[in-house]
Amino acid sequence: MPWDLIFFYILAAISVLTAIGMVAARNPVHSAVFLVLCFLNVAGIFVMLGAEFLAIVQVIVYTGAILVLVLFVLMLVDPEELPSFYTAAPLQRYLSFLLGGVLLLQIGAVIISRTAIPPRGDATPQNIAAVGGNVQAIGGIIFSEYLLAFEAISLVLTVGIMGAIVLALPERLGDKIFNRRDTISLSHTRGTDEALPSGPRGETPIVNDPNRVQPRADAARRVIMVTDPDERTTLDGSSGHRTYDTSGARGAGASSQQRYRPRNSGDETDQPANGRNDHNG
Amino acid sequence: MGELGVEHFLFLSAALFIIGMMGVLTRRNMLIIFMCVELMLTAVNISLVAFGWESQTLNGQAFVVFVIAVAAAEAAVGLGIIMALSRRGKSVDVADIQALRD
Repeated sequence: MPWDLIFFYILAAISVLTAIGMVAARNPVHSAVFLVLCFLNVAGIFVMLGAEFLAIVQVIVYTGAILVLVLFVLMLVDPEELPSFYTAAPLQRYLSFLLGGVLLLQIGAVIISRTAIPPRGDATPQNIAAVGGNVQAIGGIIFSEYLLAFEAISLVLTVGIMGAIVLALPERLGDKIFNRRDTISLSHTRGTDEALPSGPRGETPIVNDPNRVQPRADAARRVIMVTDPDERTTLDGSSGHRTYDTSGARGAGASSQQRYRPRNSGDETDQPANGRNDHNG
Repeated sequence: MGELGVEHFLFLSAALFIIGMMGVLTRRNMLIIFMCVELMLTAVNISLVAFGWESQTLNGQAFVVFVIAVAAAEAAVGLGIIMALSRRGKSVDVADIQALRD
């Protein structure tokens, strides 16, 4: 038995077995690792067929990029959300075996009964070696005969990347904006917020509260940015808050920092009952 | 046995393609289905390269370059869809995904 046949059978056997293992593995991570093994063996098959460039591309793109991407997605998807091992209907499973067998028989019959001998091209090993190798030959044919397809495939890749960004980004971005609207507390002294519309989340506007304190004329409206609303309502206001004074020159200066903070010993109408009242935007 | 011919590679290609097809038909995890589609694409690549090897042309290999590029774009979009589904619908089970059906 010639050596190339032995190598072919080794590579083919490993690739088919790992493909079966990929389909049959219960753990998706095991499936991905089996598929990596299968693709490495397919790269070996490509080398046997004289396609060294494609073998390298197979290793880099498939096992290096796509399957690592699959593993990242597997890492990000909660394992609780993964469906159980094939729980497809038994009829569906048997039907798939039947269809696979029928298709294998058909393809086998076609391959065995194939008699057409294609015309020989000029890409003999001698000619490929004359232009410098497989990579040079592939580059020559891609950039001359398949130039339009090459440009089209660059367009496809660009659109694919844009589609992936559209699928992945805006929801995350919307979440971020939404959370920011929730955590930026337009906090200010009680009773000075009558001009503000009711909050975006549908909370009860303070405008309708009959017991609310009348606005003070000299109240400076202060925007305090906190990441946690409860942090603001501890009322000692120790530190860590970035305060933005929107009252212009009137509220400027460090002495006005505590001017409108309700004090514990001050009048109790200024004291918010709970944390929710104080930062209604 | 005998000489190593194109039929060997075609049978290997058919075997890998059918394994991938059965995986698509039987599994319910979208990620496994995605990997099975990649396996089917690779099986077709083997056929293309084998035919080019038989006829001593480079057209098959040039085709495979484009198929791999399309597979990469498909991977980006498909995995983006899987991520969006797992974030939104909390499931990557194809039986649970009916948003386009109703």
